[in-house]
Amino acid sequence: MKIQEYNTIKYLLTDAIGHLVLDQPPSNKMTLAFFDELNHLVQSVGETEGIKGMVISGNGRHFSSGTDLQGILNEIEQKAISDDSNRPVHVPDFLLKNYSSLRIIEQLSIPVVAAIRGACLGSAMELALFSHFRFCSEDAVFGLPESTFNLIPGLGGILKVSHLSGKAKTMELILGGNTFPASDALKFKLVDKILPKKELISKSIFFARSVSSGYRKEKRKLYLKNFF
Amino acid sequence: MDRIGWEIRNDIGIITIDNPPENYLEKPDFVPLEVLKKWTSYDYLRGLLITGTGKQFSGGGKLECLFSMINAKEDISAKISAGKKVLDFIENLNIPVISAIQGICFGGGLEIALACHIRICSENALFAFPETNFNLIPGLGGIIRSQELIGLPKSLKMILSGDMINAEDALEMKLVDFVVPKQKLFEFSFNFLLKITRDRPLEVIHAVMEVLRDARTLSVEDALKNETRLFCELALAEAGRRKSQE
Repeated sequence: MKIQEYNTIKYLLTDAIGHLVLDQPPSNKMTLAFFDELNHLVQSVGETEGIKGMVISGNGRHFSSGTDLQGILNEIEQKAISDDSNRPVHVPDFLLKNYSSLRIIEQLSIPVVAAIRGACLGSAMELALFSHFRFCSEDAVFGLPESTFNLIPGLGGILKVSHLSGKAKTMELILGGNTFPASDALKFKLVDKILPKKELISKSIFFARSVSSGYRKEKRKLYLKNFF
Repeated sequence: MDRIGWEIRNDIGIITIDNPPENYLEKPDFVPLEVLKKWTSYDYLRGLLITGTGKQFSGGGKLECLFSMINAKEDISAKISAGKKVLDFIENLNIPVISAIQGICFGGGLEIALACHIRICSENALFAFPETNFNLIPGLGGIIRSQELIGLPKSLKMILSGDMINAEDALEMKLVDFVVPKQKLFEFSFNFLLKITRDRPLEVIHAVMEVLRDARTLSVEDALKNETRLFCELALAEAGRRKSQE
């Protein structure tokens, strides 16, 4: 059942499991329009009666290559009010809204699984990190390349990586900015499980459903152990 | 002041505990805060490396020094608090700090290592908090830092037993981040610092370090907000840079 029309997202609700598909192939770039629609969607998910879980994936070969950098730079330049020293005294609302979307996902009381194929870079990786579980295919590629553009991850990426992988690895990954394969992501504890590509989505949906009854985020490790 | 070496190489500061063979520390503030502040005030500094001269990192504080301070009626609590301030300063620096640990890393030596952001040790390194063997406790924040790093059960065991931990176990319990052959320790550590800082503007390095500090000291909500604010500042600078290149 398709319940809401979006331009950049395909959202399906099937047997009480919501499936959010980033839908701007091939790279599913996270444009300003996407972030607006994401915000609308995640707010409505919490109010969907009877919903039991959510899976997030990308349309086509990739999860997403991350933010539309030039778009966001232009928007910040227009919206951030600068003082004389060219420093923003005010963080534009749209940026706060973007990260509050991720916080809403993190705090949902239903399991949220990111199912990652192909590229998962920058803000896309942050979206995955705010999901409750991360499964990926063998060909998935991860990275927070922001520092190579003289930026930092701006949506909680540093905090999330530091929590999962420790401070040393965070400094290495974020200051280095290099991409890394699924096997490293697993080793760094940034993904929970590598699955065969063909089963990735179906297993993720099945997993979300199977942990949905009496779901509690604190039991994360136990759910993973029992399922796999 | 303890015998401590200081030099800057390729914009990386190197602090060497230079009291061989065991590199014992005579004072809790092994480098006085004022000196450390002066050393690290060099604007182009991109990282800091702390290591020991010779075969050992540091055997820690010398018990005799502590007792002679007590006998001389010195203000012990002021000394300890000065030592804590030095380690807090190191931990809060806005550039990456690595300790390169060879041989023994005991007591106060381990306290210094724990205040660093990354610990790299040689295969023959040994770690311990021997304080409880002398009816004392680690006094420079080591109980708290070790607990944050390796979790309460392992930290309790390490501190209450006073047992030594070898490099392999230290890596396993995440007390250290890398173990490398003894001959390669300095080179690996120095190159690692260069590698993660070399191609990045200082503002980016400072911002990443600030967020990591926030992760420790602020609520999640406040830390996230500050991360977004820092992103915004850097984005404005980058937007300006791109414009000027057009």
